[in-house]
Amino acid sequence: MSESDQIEGNPESMVSTPAVDVIIPATPPAGPSERRAARKENWRLIRRRPSFIVGNIIAIVWVTCAILGTRITPHDPLDFRAKPHLSPSSDFWFGTDKTGRDVLSRVMAGARDVLKIAPPAALLGVLFGVILGMLMGYIGKRVDIILSRIVEAFLALPVVLIALLAITTLGNSSWVVLGVVAVLFTPVVARTVRSAVLAERDLDYVTSARLRGESKMFIMFKEVLPNVSGPIVVELTVRIGYAVFAISTLSFLGAGPPPPSPDWGAQVSEGFNSISAGIWWTTFFPAAAIASLVIAVNLIADAVQSVLEAS
Amino acid sequence: MSRYLLRRLGSAVITLWLLATIVFVVVSVLPSNVGRQILGPFAPQEQVDALNHRLGFDRPIIIQYLQSMRRVFTLNFGESYTSGAPVNDVIFPALWRSGKLALLAFIMTIPVSILAGIIAARRQDKLSDRAIVNLGLATSSIPEFVSAAVLLSIFCVHWKLGKAFANPPDGATIVQQLQYLWVPALAMAITYFGYLARMTRAGVISAQHSDYARTATMKGMSSSQVMRRHIMRNALAPTITVISVQIGYLFGGIIGVERVFNYSGLGSTMLIAVGKRDIPVLQGAVLLVGIIYMFSTLAADLLIAALNPRVRLEVSK
Repeated sequence: MSESDQIEGNPESMVSTPAVDVIIPATPPAGPSERRAARKENWRLIRRRPSFIVGNIIAIVWVTCAILGTRITPHDPLDFRAKPHLSPSSDFWFGTDKTGRDVLSRVMAGARDVLKIAPPAALLGVLFGVILGMLMGYIGKRVDIILSRIVEAFLALPVVLIALLAITTLGNSSWVVLGVVAVLFTPVVARTVRSAVLAERDLDYVTSARLRGESKMFIMFKEVLPNVSGPIVVELTVRIGYAVFAISTLSFLGAGPPPPSPDWGAQVSEGFNSISAGIWWTTFFPAAAIASLVIAVNLIADAVQSVLEAS
Repeated sequence: MSRYLLRRLGSAVITLWLLATIVFVVVSVLPSNVGRQILGPFAPQEQVDALNHRLGFDRPIIIQYLQSMRRVFTLNFGESYTSGAPVNDVIFPALWRSGKLALLAFIMTIPVSILAGIIAARRQDKLSDRAIVNLGLATSSIPEFVSAAVLLSIFCVHWKLGKAFANPPDGATIVQQLQYLWVPALAMAITYFGYLARMTRAGVISAQHSDYARTATMKGMSSSQVMRRHIMRNALAPTITVISVQIGYLFGGIIGVERVFNYSGLGSTMLIAVGKRDIPVLQGAVLLVGIIYMFSTLAADLLIAALNPRVRLEVSK
């Protein structure tokens, strides 16, 4: 939702600029080997953070479920031969749903529906966002003014709403969901990349590349891009979390894969009407699955962010 | 200040125009066939054409565009496809109901999360700070409809402290309405807690380390005075921005909450419109949310300028 606004915060007024500012040389022109060493060191620091480890354990569980699917589920997620609405027992750990399907198997198999769309959507959104943000930040001038305005207009539209509108007019398919989420993430990523590029643009290494007569494309993608990779990596991990968030909300609202697919959002939407009758397990377990996956991705993002922003 | 206001209003109008254009592109320019989407794959082609004609989707794209712009700037979104009623009669009462729910959610979440943010900042890296930060991370990760479903089963079914159907009867007093609305509002408040608390914490921490805070402490001000007069004024600016941004985004999450609690606000109206493919209503509702977002961010910018003399000075230059 609004996390990118948090990063920006209030400009100069909050940060106590140290008086030694002038003495510090502009970012050292890191050579490829230095850069590799720095990357290795960052990776080592990230790996050690407890939130990274916990987040990865949860995420790996879901990825395993998504890859192996019905090969490891205790029952067939579509098999409705058990009694409906059985409460959790040793046979059906998470109980059965209203048509007698095993909730545990459905939750395990449902990981695939969301993991098939969310990471590619985030990746695509970041890719577009990097290209756009690079153009806005480096080319600047009129390109920047016009694109910034468009980005601002996009930010005024909640992802879920405009996605619902698009799905209603374009038809419901996972390609539309993937494309819409990617397009809607693009402006947010572009804004982050733009401000990172603005900070690099006037540094010595860029000027010297320009004086060397390098093309704009070369400077943007070979010189500047490696130096703004930190915020981009952070943005990618954060975006994956939001993609899971948005896509499961959409499928809860009926814009996900059609039944009998075991999608998590769809399961919650099938189950929540029975809560009043005391049947909590058909809603609780898929809901907990969604929450745990988003929390896991955000834990990883948090670890990556705190290491990369400190360095 | 008035020049700032004027410039800010001007940019809001431009953004509104672009936003309306984006919505127009999604509905009318992308290769979609609205009549076909409404009537389904088996309707005869003549009916589809007739409906497209009635809705105006067969007119030249530029005419459609001008019409849709006129709708936005006169706040008149046309007529509902299914009931024929003016879209405004459908979306404004629904907006009012959603507004009540949203207001209650903000009343619940703002004081608690700002307080939690301040506590976390003052005990930076201690156990209570870690607890607040991680709780915030977890709560803002949970989609609103998930927390709504969990709270429904705890408070409305198990303990029977709230109502599973959140529509208060007509003529209910404020206290009665609160009984209906507090659980769905809590579901939304939980999601916003994380953002606000983490934002406030970051703001307070950087303001605490600033020169002006150190100067104020060293000239002998009590720590509560420093907090109130110097730190909070600066630290709250990003928090206010986040709140204003969330007022817009809230309408993304409120749909799920309203669905779980069968509350007939703007979110439910949009869902019904999706179900019936009532694109005029949906389009009107999405634009309305965009307009609300514009005004809430505008209000936040003005509030920040009012709180912080430096911002005022900078913009009047």
